[in-house]
Amino acid sequence: MIRLPAFTLPAPVGAIVSRLPQFPPALALVAALNLALGRVIPREPLEPLLGKRIALVVTDAGLNLRFYLGPTGFHAGLAAGEPDLRISAAARDFLALALREEDPDTLFFSRRLLMEGDTELGLLVKNTLDAIELPRIDAGDFSPIGLIERLMRLR
Amino acid sequence: MEMKLSLAPLPYYWPRSRTLAFYREVESMPVDIVYLGETVCSRRHELRAADWIDIARAIAAAGKEAVLSTQALIESESDLKVVRRLVENDGFRVEANEMGAVRLLAERRVPFVAGASLNVYNERTLALLARLGAMRWVAPHEMNRAMLEALRCGAPAGVECEVFAWGRLPLAWSARCFTARHFNLQKDTCEFRCIEFPDGLEVKTRDAEDFLVLNGIQTQSHKVHDLLPDSAALREAGVDIARIGPQSSGTAEIARLFRAAIEGSLTPGEADARARPHMPADPCNGFWHGRPGFERVGDRGQKSP
Amino acid sequence: MNQAAAPAPARIELVCPAGGLPALKAAVEHGADCVYAGFKDETNARNFTGLNFDQAGLREGIRHAHAHGVKVLLALNTYPTSASFPRWERAVDRAADLGADAVILADAGLMEYAHRAHPELRLHLSVQASATSYEAINFYHRHFGIRRAVLPRVLSAAQVENVVAHTPVEIEVFGFGGLCVMVEGRCALSAYVTGDGPNCTGACSPGKAVRWEQTAEGVETRLNGVLVDRYAPGERSAYPTLCKGRYQVGGQTYYAIEEPASLNTLELLPELARAGIRAIKIEGRQRSPAYVAQVTRIWREAIDRCLRDPAAFAPAPAWIAELNKVSEGQTHTLGAYSRPWK
Repeated sequence: MIRLPAFTLPAPVGAIVSRLPQFPPALALVAALNLALGRVIPREPLEPLLGKRIALVVTDAGLNLRFYLGPTGFHAGLAAGEPDLRISAAARDFLALALREEDPDTLFFSRRLLMEGDTELGLLVKNTLDAIELPRIDAGDFSPIGLIERLMRLR
Repeated sequence: MEMKLSLAPLPYYWPRSRTLAFYREVESMPVDIVYLGETVCSRRHELRAADWIDIARAIAAAGKEAVLSTQALIESESDLKVVRRLVENDGFRVEANEMGAVRLLAERRVPFVAGASLNVYNERTLALLARLGAMRWVAPHEMNRAMLEALRCGAPAGVECEVFAWGRLPLAWSARCFTARHFNLQKDTCEFRCIEFPDGLEVKTRDAEDFLVLNGIQTQSHKVHDLLPDSAALREAGVDIARIGPQSSGTAEIARLFRAAIEGSLTPGEADARARPHMPADPCNGFWHGRPGFERVGDRGQKSP
Repeated sequence: MNQAAAPAPARIELVCPAGGLPALKAAVEHGADCVYAGFKDETNARNFTGLNFDQAGLREGIRHAHAHGVKVLLALNTYPTSASFPRWERAVDRAADLGADAVILADAGLMEYAHRAHPELRLHLSVQASATSYEAINFYHRHFGIRRAVLPRVLSAAQVENVVAHTPVEIEVFGFGGLCVMVEGRCALSAYVTGDGPNCTGACSPGKAVRWEQTAEGVETRLNGVLVDRYAPGERSAYPTLCKGRYQVGGQTYYAIEEPASLNTLELLPELARAGIRAIKIEGRQRSPAYVAQVTRIWREAIDRCLRDPAAFAPAPAWIAELNKVSEGQTHTLGAYSRPWK
């Protein structure tokens, strides 16, 4: 397995992305989550998430992805008001978490991951994802350049 | 039969003369049982085991039951030596505060008191200890009324039940001395600074709320666990003995007010109101009501700020 | 698999945490001798949302571990109340039926049940039983035939050696991970503030009581409203446990109880081996499979090297660096094993 290199998205990228509509990236995220739901991600342990507003803030990309879990699956949400749970980290660290290269608590101790709002929901998400048996993914698919390209394509 | 009153072992480190004067005062306090001994830190030496046994004699001569309490955290061979010395004393009952003391007492086949730190949360554990000689048990501080009543239903007959009813809650023990740490000292060279804090060293949160007190290796609540308003409920729940924790002043008055509430000459509410001036901090009673320990639950079960 | 390649049967078992099946498999793959796990309820002291095993998961976990020669120890180390006792009994029965290699218990009444109902089942004394002396450990040995005891993180290395010398029970010590500064089983700090604690509900600082909030003065962490700490930008953060908070004492604001740091006893390995300890426990059932893999791999290598040539053993700087990275506060301490810490 290739180790994910340390990187931060260059500031100009964050500045551009933060001015883009945030809805399409959130749609892409919920589409991916819905593909996994019930197949890779078990539905039952996530029941307490029903109706809760979640925001993933990709700090260096200037992305604020808001979504919620409804009875039929995840939905991109534009609902006003504070999310019930907000998880903030840089793009690189979100990827490292997804690839299981980094332990969330490790990122949290070094202030690279911040969880605000309902901590119980955050633990539920973290522990449910940790309990999933994932096939190995090649970190090479997530090179900084490729990632930026894909983020830009989400426009 | 009316509920009896006991005095917990002195958790703080007071100068010898002050400790001796306190226990002379205890001889005339309206308590039935007095627990004696150093239960917190083996380095404290103003009084030795022999001194505590002398005090026990005086307490017994004053018509009270004297009990020798063992240290809760045993680390070294010399700590064990003190436990053996107390266990092998002739004449005074012993309160066991860890399972090593239970083993030694059971071997000698003498009746003993099972202390709160033995974590007796169910009647199976209590029955086991009773077979080994426990004639009384002290409920863990976290235990609430419902848990206690459920346990009492299946409890072996004849084992007395005691509940900590007044004082700062002993919340935790550590190998580390937090008082020494405050003065940037190591425990082995602590200069016995805890002697400067007769009610513990106060800890506030960063937004200046009172929170804990440090008592050497022990951490206590800043708030005073106060079950005076619940004294009738204690009796209903089958509690035989209410335990009062010593504090630097007002201990005798607190004992008198508990006595008055038990005998009915004051209502629990009246007794509690009169106890307020003797309370070193705000009261709490959450543990008894199945709530976070630092909460105060009123007569009708409502939470007050 | 490291198991097959190990040079000799390990005289010190490496006991690794598993909060779920992927973590269990990571521990097995990277060289654990035993993994410890719990059911998804308050029968164990890491009762956190989404963590731990249901019956099917544990069956699969035990099958996988046994297929690779690794043992599974089941933690049932909270204190049952009278009302809940039957559920804890059933949990012991389930552990025995599923083929767990041992159960880790704290409550004496439950231990008596396990000893009577399942005489073949190995009993380990949990750290939650607060047994710090050989007299206490020998009490459980005499009455329930316990085979192993896990020592609370409060004894110095010399005191550990003295315990080992005076008991027939195998001694397991914590080697790495989150550091309970308080005697386990005797800490009601979390219960005092939240109503939930390790003894009765198996959760220290439960998630539902924790709030992180960005404020003008920094990120604040509160436990049921009590301010545990406030972090300036860039400051390392800690678990929201009350013992790792910063408080005001006598006009000073500091970590009044303990700094956020993990226990790491790598450098004491030869000393602990000489003392005769039989197992080293890695803390962290609440951590991810990534943590379990990283920590297990390093400790496997360290134990193997130490047992091969204890005199020449020194922890590799790369091990320490990698372990610090996954540590609370990104640093480590010898804790009570070193007298000056006390």
